[in-house]
Amino acid sequence: MEQLWALGAPATVRQVHQALTGSRDVAYTTVMTVLDRLARKGSAEQIRDGRAYRYRPAFSRDELTAELMHEALDTVDGSDRTAALLRFVGSASADDARALREALEAVERSARDSA
Amino acid sequence: MTETTPVVLLVLALLLTGPAPALLARASWPLRVPRAALVLWQAVALAAVLSALGAGASAGTLVMTHPSPSWWLVVLHGAALLLTLVVTARLLWSAHTLGMALRARRRRQRHVVDLVGRSDRRAPGALVVDVERPVAYCIPGVRSRVVVSAPALDALGSDETAAVLAHERAHVRARHDLVLEGFGVLHDAFPRFVRSSVALDSAAGLVEMLADDAARRRSGAVPLARALARMADAPVPAGALGSGSVTPAVRIRRLAAAPGTSGAGGPARGGRGRLGAPAWLVAAQAYTVAAALVAVPTVAVAVPWLTALSRALLP
Repeated sequence: MEQLWALGAPATVRQVHQALTGSRDVAYTTVMTVLDRLARKGSAEQIRDGRAYRYRPAFSRDELTAELMHEALDTVDGSDRTAALLRFVGSASADDARALREALEAVERSARDSA
Repeated sequence: MTETTPVVLLVLALLLTGPAPALLARASWPLRVPRAALVLWQAVALAAVLSALGAGASAGTLVMTHPSPSWWLVVLHGAALLLTLVVTARLLWSAHTLGMALRARRRRQRHVVDLVGRSDRRAPGALVVDVERPVAYCIPGVRSRVVVSAPALDALGSDETAAVLAHERAHVRARHDLVLEGFGVLHDAFPRFVRSSVALDSAAGLVEMLADDAARRRSGAVPLARALARMADAPVPAGALGSGSVTPAVRIRRLAAAPGTSGAGGPARGGRGRLGAPAWLVAAQAYTVAAALVAVPTVAVAVPWLTALSRALLP
């Protein structure tokens, strides 16, 4: 639904709807609801333009991606112990690369032995 | 009820908050039976809270039911009762603030991931984000998300990606976030200068092991171990892990020791460790101790307390 990024300039509900109908079938009211929800969550800005509203993204894609990255990496350091996210694997700074390689070789060896 | 009950409970609470977690964190058997170890950790935490609360409550009742309490008995046990109230209030407050903060952050994360994430054939059911580092994580909750970064997908083979996804889905399915939230509440409830993160760190490590076990059953030990090594090898900015944490190398070594490395095998059981005791026996002992820890203080306090109370109220 983030056609707003593609459109660049502040867009009306009708413009977003027209851009979307090229790729899929979506109702005008659905677009209106989604844009309104984005505005309420602060991800889009609502600009009054005569009788209609124009919408423009409040953050760029890069800014949002950076926020994700920041959060994903932040959760492993000590400042925030009860993490909002559960990461697959954290920092390897406590291990050196050799310890990791040796451990991996041991797993591969035991898999060969049992095969 | 005797006058020693509050003292006994207080000593028990102190033992369960200090030496017991320290011992448990140093033990090596939890690596083999993480589920039993996690239950034992929860039992220790619950028993510690119950004994602390019981100490204050029983002290209060003691004064109430005492025929002629001396002034120091009143002061001493009034203080104990006050402590109980403070502990209860802190626990409730901590549960409230942590719960609100976690939910708000997860809601925001989910919103952002839904905006910037895309789906990818290589990672079915996960959202792919274009950040520059290889990362994989899940946003737990009722409306959960599994997130993988594009560099991670490029670095991992298909069976390794499957192992990563199985690991994250295990977290989501078993609601490991709730376990950690419980320990987080306890951690935050203690004043800053006496709190210790031993229990929370241990629980976090055990939860990773449980998810590893689930992923190994699904995808096999070797793909999981390779995925761990590859993702952990990635340079990560400052923020060293605490020494008590379960490092990636520890997790990989565990996979070598566990049986059923072929992947299709059943749950890890029956394997003999270096200590010689079979895993099921270790687990059974841990479960027994856990049950006893919760039951004994409850029975020891509740029963004499209720009899004393009924004797006082119904002459």
